[in-house]
Amino acid sequence: MNNKRKWIIRGCSLLVILAIAALMFLVGRGHTVYIDNKTLEFNGQTADALQRVEVWVGGERLSKLAKRERTMSTVIGQNFEMKLISTINKGDEPTEEIVKISLPYGWDGIVVNVPGYLAGLPQEAWMTEFIAEPEPVTAEDEPELSEDEIPMGDF
Amino acid sequence: MKEKLKDFIASFGLPRLIISGFLLALFILSPIVGADLPMQISNVINRFSWNAVLVLAMVPMVHSGCGLNFGLPLGIVAGLLGGTLSLEFGFTGPMSFLMAVIIATPFAMLFGGGYGWLLNRIKGGEMMIATYVGFSSVSFMCMMWLLLPYHKADMVWGLSGKGLRTTISLEGYYDKALSNFLQINIGKISIPVGALLLFAVLAFAMWAFLHTKTGTAMTAVGSNPTFAKAAGIQVDKIRMLSVMMSTWLGAVGILVYEQGFGFIQLYNAPFYMALPAVSAILIGGATVNKASIMNVILGTFLFQGIVTMTPTVMNNMIHMDMSEVIRMIASNGMILYALTRKTEVRR
Amino acid sequence: MSNISKPAGSRSVGKTVGSFLANNSVPIMFILICAVCIPLSGFSLDYLLNEIITRLGRNAFLILSLLIPIMAGMGLNFGMTLGAMAGEIALIFVSDWQIWGIPGVILAMIVSVPFSVLLGLFCGKIMNMAKGREMITSYIISFFINGVYQLIVLYMMGSVIPIAHSSIKLPRGYGIRNTVGLLNMRQCIDNLLAIRVGGVKIPALTLLIIVLMCLLIIWFRRTKLGQDMRAVGQDMQVARDAGIKVERTRIISIIISTVLAGFGMILYLQNIGNLSTYSAHSQVGMFCIAALLVGGASVDRASIGNVFLGVILFHLMFIVAPQAGAKITGDSMIGEYFRVFVSYGVITIALIMYEMKKRRQKANIGEQLALAQKEEVQHEQ
Repeated sequence: MNNKRKWIIRGCSLLVILAIAALMFLVGRGHTVYIDNKTLEFNGQTADALQRVEVWVGGERLSKLAKRERTMSTVIGQNFEMKLISTINKGDEPTEEIVKISLPYGWDGIVVNVPGYLAGLPQEAWMTEFIAEPEPVTAEDEPELSEDEIPMGDF
Repeated sequence: MKEKLKDFIASFGLPRLIISGFLLALFILSPIVGADLPMQISNVINRFSWNAVLVLAMVPMVHSGCGLNFGLPLGIVAGLLGGTLSLEFGFTGPMSFLMAVIIATPFAMLFGGGYGWLLNRIKGGEMMIATYVGFSSVSFMCMMWLLLPYHKADMVWGLSGKGLRTTISLEGYYDKALSNFLQINIGKISIPVGALLLFAVLAFAMWAFLHTKTGTAMTAVGSNPTFAKAAGIQVDKIRMLSVMMSTWLGAVGILVYEQGFGFIQLYNAPFYMALPAVSAILIGGATVNKASIMNVILGTFLFQGIVTMTPTVMNNMIHMDMSEVIRMIASNGMILYALTRKTEVRR
Repeated sequence: MSNISKPAGSRSVGKTVGSFLANNSVPIMFILICAVCIPLSGFSLDYLLNEIITRLGRNAFLILSLLIPIMAGMGLNFGMTLGAMAGEIALIFVSDWQIWGIPGVILAMIVSVPFSVLLGLFCGKIMNMAKGREMITSYIISFFINGVYQLIVLYMMGSVIPIAHSSIKLPRGYGIRNTVGLLNMRQCIDNLLAIRVGGVKIPALTLLIIVLMCLLIIWFRRTKLGQDMRAVGQDMQVARDAGIKVERTRIISIIISTVLAGFGMILYLQNIGNLSTYSAHSQVGMFCIAALLVGGASVDRASIGNVFLGVILFHLMFIVAPQAGAKITGDSMIGEYFRVFVSYGVITIALIMYEMKKRRQKANIGEQLALAQKEEVQHEQ
């Protein structure tokens, strides 16, 4: 009887740990979001680049984008929130908008096209996957195998 | 028949069987995958001649019950002192090898004496302390190589004019001093008779010594210290002698290695040199408290065979050089196997 | 009987001081080394304080993992490297899955556990087969498993084990690169709740985790299992007669140590911010053991106090030695070699003192037995 209870407790704690691990998978997925201010064409519709757009993330100004400029931000989790202060044409009064985007889990890098988003184009138009070029391998990245590792240097 | 096979495996040891089988497979595969077999054999023989004396250095301490000499770097340090001093004093050619051995001897005696004295105070925990005595001595010498007043231009850093270089070329000194002596070339196979001869002489001397009165006393101390004490053998003295012998052989061993390799390697190089020697003698069939000359020869051959053959055969076969990893797993696995055998009676 | 052994109270004060010095010779020696080297190095107090606190947060957890095998009489667990490797494998996976920040650290810890348990089980089993020479065995195990680790990471990851991101793979398509960047979880635990006092950053959360770990160890000592371990550490035969499963207890102590070492390695690497795939673990065992010994621990006795004193003194020496060495000899390498030498030297001395003590105790027991026999004979007469 006692033995049975012990195993139930063990099983439960294992399940709890697995649940935490699964939760971490959901909560901790990191993405790199690239924010573009570029003219976007989609199915014949055109969304022109904005004169100027300020991107604020987490209460801090990330960047001020002119036409054809790009900035990037990192986010942990699938909900990305940013504030855009955009000037559509020269001399216009800037308009402020809070943008909440739900990011697809499987994409590491995500490009968000601001003009396309503001013009109300469908999501597949302004959100695309960004596949980063793998960094070139330097000589340092080639492993030099040996067990004869001498503990020099810092620890 | 099955029983016999089982007995054979039990006495030979499964890991040893696997390693021998592996080497055999390498030899068979080598011509099939297009590796140059005579060249390989030549390499194995040469590597054997470089390393055999270092492996022989394990024998005295195993016999006297001090366990595997993980403190071999101490002897190596003595050898390095001999080698560098011989160059510093201006000896050249094969003469510098002889002088290196002669100069290394007092150092080896001194270090070995102190080391033996220490090991007599900590009977039962020799192997771990030996490891760290080796490490400490090597790291201490790292400082000394920088600080000692060496001046020979071939050996010190060019810019500052002091402090020894990490590797010193032996060209013009004792590079191939033994290997070229009486060298025989049969086709592509070259046999370094001089180096093999020196090993044969040392191995024979060791064999002969183990059959003298002192030698048998040493074996007695190793197999049953209480009995040895009762029989009137001075246990501590015999143990110290064995440690000094091991240390001296370590010193000569590194000099033989250098003459084959062509370079003196200083600073961190000696750190882990004990491990290949330890695993080689174990692969040859030695245990923590039993080792024979045959174990040395067989073990060095098997170990060096694998070390030299694996990279080429592997590369030719699957274009993947896993030799380093295989060597690490095989050699350390062998040491582990030996450590877990219940051969040693705990004191 | 009383006239044979003197009562403890009659010891002179001088003798007490002497034995204090003898028992704490290593920490005292280190305090002296630091006292000489600090002024020579010319570092400011702020800088030193900052470094010490950073290193405390970085290393203390790793060193704590050594305590439990010592309690179980298995000596310094050189096999803690195994845990470090398990932690590294977990981090490689987590960074391939792109889990960042604190969730990444937690996930890595969870993922490391099965590896650690497996390796710890292996290590414990082997050490049970080599009783009496646990340390050298655990030392060789760490080399052996290092080979297996390289086999897995260099040849099997990317070919057998799926690795998605080419940024951590070698260009040939399999095997992990020499360094894996952990920028996305760099110091995420250290920076959360960090407190700044003057110019000194105190990673409060990391220190809190370490304190919790200490409390856990103190609690563990009082549990049934902890008591069993101490009994096994005192005398295996007596423990066995008392009905304790000696082998099982020893294996559990190694498993716990390995798991903790894995956690410690993850904490260590989140502070460093990148993982040297093939060399990060090779130094860990040696430096942690040296630090613990510098704190005044011995092979058979170590406390939490030893851990903290050890980290502080050892790393103080570590920071100042190169500069001080350069000042004295004009060569900065001297100081680097010096600190390596000191690390090895400390371990060597501690091992020697332990073995000598063990022999002395054996001799004492023998003497007492002889005396007792003599007395009995006299009584009979």
